[in-house]
Amino acid sequence: MRVETYQKAPSAFARNAPGYLFLLPWFIGFFGLTLGPAIVSLYLSFTDYNLLQAPHLVGLDNYARIATGDDKFISSMKVTLFYVVCSVPLKLAFALMVALLLNRGIRGLPIYRAIFYLPSLLGSSVAIAVLWRQIFDGDGVVNTLLWYVLGINGPSWISNPNYSLYTLIILAIWQFGSPMIIFLAGLRQIPTDLYEAASLDGASKARIFFKITLPLLTPVIFFNAVVQTIDAFKAFTPAYVISSGTGGPIDSTLFYTLYLYQEAFGYFRMGYAAALAWVLVIIIAVFTAFSFLSARYWVHYDD
Amino acid sequence: MLYPLLWMLSGSVKDQNEIFGSASLIPSQFDFSAYARGWFGGQVNFGSFVWNSVVIAVLSVIGNVVSCSLAAYAFARLNFWGKNFWFALMLGTLMLPYHVTLIPQYILFLKLGWVKTMLPLVVPKFLAVDAFFIFLMVQFFRGIPRELDEAAMMDGCSPWRIYWRIMMPLSLPVLATAAIFSFIWTWDDFFGPLIYLSDINTYTVQLGLRSFVDSTGSSDWSSLFAMSSISLIPVFLIFLFFQRLLIDGIATAGLKR
Repeated sequence: MRVETYQKAPSAFARNAPGYLFLLPWFIGFFGLTLGPAIVSLYLSFTDYNLLQAPHLVGLDNYARIATGDDKFISSMKVTLFYVVCSVPLKLAFALMVALLLNRGIRGLPIYRAIFYLPSLLGSSVAIAVLWRQIFDGDGVVNTLLWYVLGINGPSWISNPNYSLYTLIILAIWQFGSPMIIFLAGLRQIPTDLYEAASLDGASKARIFFKITLPLLTPVIFFNAVVQTIDAFKAFTPAYVISSGTGGPIDSTLFYTLYLYQEAFGYFRMGYAAALAWVLVIIIAVFTAFSFLSARYWVHYDD
Repeated sequence: MLYPLLWMLSGSVKDQNEIFGSASLIPSQFDFSAYARGWFGGQVNFGSFVWNSVVIAVLSVIGNVVSCSLAAYAFARLNFWGKNFWFALMLGTLMLPYHVTLIPQYILFLKLGWVKTMLPLVVPKFLAVDAFFIFLMVQFFRGIPRELDEAAMMDGCSPWRIYWRIMMPLSLPVLATAAIFSFIWTWDDFFGPLIYLSDINTYTVQLGLRSFVDSTGSSDWSSLFAMSSISLIPVFLIFLFFQRLLIDGIATAGLKR
């Protein structure tokens, strides 16, 4: 008996092999396209590399330049932060507002949901950016409407550095569909007996919203805020298309990723671009860590 | 919400002068010639961009679904040494912005001689680089009763057979969600093609459209709108047919994360 079980017990290889075989594509991708490149990128960020000559170490020069003397870094960071700070809260506010409206059992919900979701799905396509560029152009439809409705001669939004970034923020807000869907799903999960009990107690609508809906929705708000912020830091296509890749006028739409792209594939300063990428990672990581720390104070979990 | 999209669509059949100075959606007369001008007018036929995009998107869908479901099956159902460690690493890659790996990947593909071909856009998809899909599938696989594959295991089924004959057929909803998002994201991708494709014959729809904007400037707006509208058609059709699946996919992925 003992001998038989001994013979039947699979070897370590037989136990582990299937798992590793199934993971083989992922392993190749992970080591070859993610971990390996991440390490190389860290190394390159301490070098000067233009693809033609071998990279040579320059120590912390790239980071020092970022920290002290790079105007474009500062302006692109300002643009990006402004974009994140303006677009994300407004986008979430719209998403929540519309989700609350749609959650009141209105007729034709799937149709409304679809209408609000479609713009986000078309998302980062070039067509949408092109469309936006034409809408906000000097003789675009926004100014036509302004003229007919209010009698105002609007500026050329896209080519005026005072306004160009706002057009991109409006574009981001217009695409509030995916956080809205997640809000809708979150609203569904709030037990209805809580609402029934509250209305029996004669609580006002505002009170129900602030005492029940909002607290129970905080995990979803938190999730949406983190995801949308990370996405906003990475925005690229609209800024690229609207400014024809320049980030103009006067760097007013020079997003961080656009600057990184220009450094890497415009000037082939690969080492410096790698350093820029790592600075972005650090900023996103700091932001995410901060959100998770702050979540303790405002995100409400059931348990 | 839809006004800008409808305005673009109506702009594609309007007379040049009517696009400006009128916010109305209904053109005074329908003129479809802009579609022909846009499609045939460029240095390269717009159909060639569509074809390139279709090839890349379809290969990406196949690659993502196959490679991510293999990995997800291993993480959800198989036991092996170091599983939790690898799983944690996989989740970690969800957070990593692609900018970090971008430059070394570019250098790697350059050394392999793949730049200016579609290989850098397709091959990674076969290597399960999109951890989001693995994660989505793991969540789904965990909901499938374990008794099913345990019973099959007792009957002497190999893991491969269980994966192929039990898990895959039962996972069609999540596989479809991954396939659809994979298609849409690849179709809409601008950055990847921008970096890797430089020959106009290999351009995707997104690049073709961008070059169209630059080459025609603002001289022929209706054909620009016409080609923009065409570039949105596949995504729009997918949305129309799979709305429910897309919305459920995004809702559950968001909440379970």
